[in-house]
Amino acid sequence: MKKYTIAFGSVTTAIKAQSVLAKNSISTEVVRTPKNLSSGCGYSLVGYGDILRATEILDRHRLVYKSVMEG
Amino acid sequence: MPIINFDNSATSFPKPIAVKNAVLTAMNQYGGNPGRSGHKLSMDTAAAVFGARQEAADFFGAEAENVVFALNCSHALNMAVKGVARNRPGCHIIISSLEHNSVARPVHALYLQKRCTYSIAEVSHDDDITIDNIRRLIRRNTAIIVFTLGSNVTGQITPFKRIGELCSRNGICFIGDAAQIAGVRPVKLSDGINIICTSGHKSLYGLTGTGLLISDGRYVIHPIMEGGTGSTSLELTQPDFLPDSLESGTVNTVGAITLGEGIKFVNKTGIQTIYQHETLLCDRFISRMLKFPSVKICRDSRIKDYLPVVSFNIDGLTANEAGNLLSDKGFALRGGLHCSGLAHNYLKTSPNGTVRFSPSAFNNEREVDMLVNAIECIV
Repeated sequence: MKKYTIAFGSVTTAIKAQSVLAKNSISTEVVRTPKNLSSGCGYSLVGYGDILRATEILDRHRLVYKSVMEG
Repeated sequence: MPIINFDNSATSFPKPIAVKNAVLTAMNQYGGNPGRSGHKLSMDTAAAVFGARQEAADFFGAEAENVVFALNCSHALNMAVKGVARNRPGCHIIISSLEHNSVARPVHALYLQKRCTYSIAEVSHDDDITIDNIRRLIRRNTAIIVFTLGSNVTGQITPFKRIGELCSRNGICFIGDAAQIAGVRPVKLSDGINIICTSGHKSLYGLTGTGLLISDGRYVIHPIMEGGTGSTSLELTQPDFLPDSLESGTVNTVGAITLGEGIKFVNKTGIQTIYQHETLLCDRFISRMLKFPSVKICRDSRIKDYLPVVSFNIDGLTANEAGNLLSDKGFALRGGLHCSGLAHNYLKTSPNGTVRFSPSAFNNEREVDMLVNAIECIV
């Protein structure tokens, strides 16, 4: 399964997003946002599988993410 | 001599066992700085703080990211009032005649800085009259109504759902001071309140040094303080998203976690059960006090629904003197003005104030009877 990373502005949004995805049976881990994804501080979710499904769920819950990366 | 606390409107004591345990758990397990690092200690702490944030969000019908941890209710109200007013220079604000200084002082400070004008709406025993009083004060530039949802002096509950409707119809931001009502009666953003401010250490049973600002996200709240947030750190401007925009510096992790446990305690016990229990204690107290002609209870017989708070005075004693005499007998009741000069002026109990009886979920009928016996000795 393909690895993906979704970057958020704050740890609160990242943890909320993790909780929302978990309710949809998508397991992710909260990590510091990698430098190649965003400058400055921030937190990301790292998951494996269908990134489109994950981002669709986040969009539905109006959870704003800053950037996404596959691989 | 053990102290029996009937000053829970100032801060609740004792705290639930789960809250006490949460302090230890937080000190032992959640010692990291949330949102500042990627190591396990920081991440575990961030998750625990988020759990408390979510608990508060569910309790008040909010989104977790719109829950801001504050130092206390005064802090939350300052953030809300000044933060919303900043976008509306020269606006008009309406407050109630029952306001605590946590509302009256920041609004008056804005007025002294020529950043707003304000009016005081008299709260009547009749909700229709109260609503009319507010409606008459609304001007074209009225931008904010800040109202206590329940008085910390008399326990009178204001018609906040109707005020919410009025604000919504007129495009006015409604900020509710929920310090006395939260944890005793249900309050939600869906009641029409745009921003709920509350302490966390009263009827929500968290530690002192905790408060909450809960926003529906409709009104921008400019920060009154800037600083480190663990987000957008390369930018010199404060983040514009909640909760980071209003949470500069390290959050009170232990306090936040205990507040989450306190809210769980309220949910587990049942808010209606707590309200009924405390109301029964107030009714018992009032009925026993009626046999003392020198005791004057500050309640209006036309009002049927009060928060479990009873203010009273004893002829021949100032409120502080009565409070001190009761303290000598092992009881904690607050005498004086309760930081609510406006309310006491309105109630004509200024400058002496009143003695305030405010039970919690942990008081019982026997303790009320013991207090009544103590009062009998001083009347």
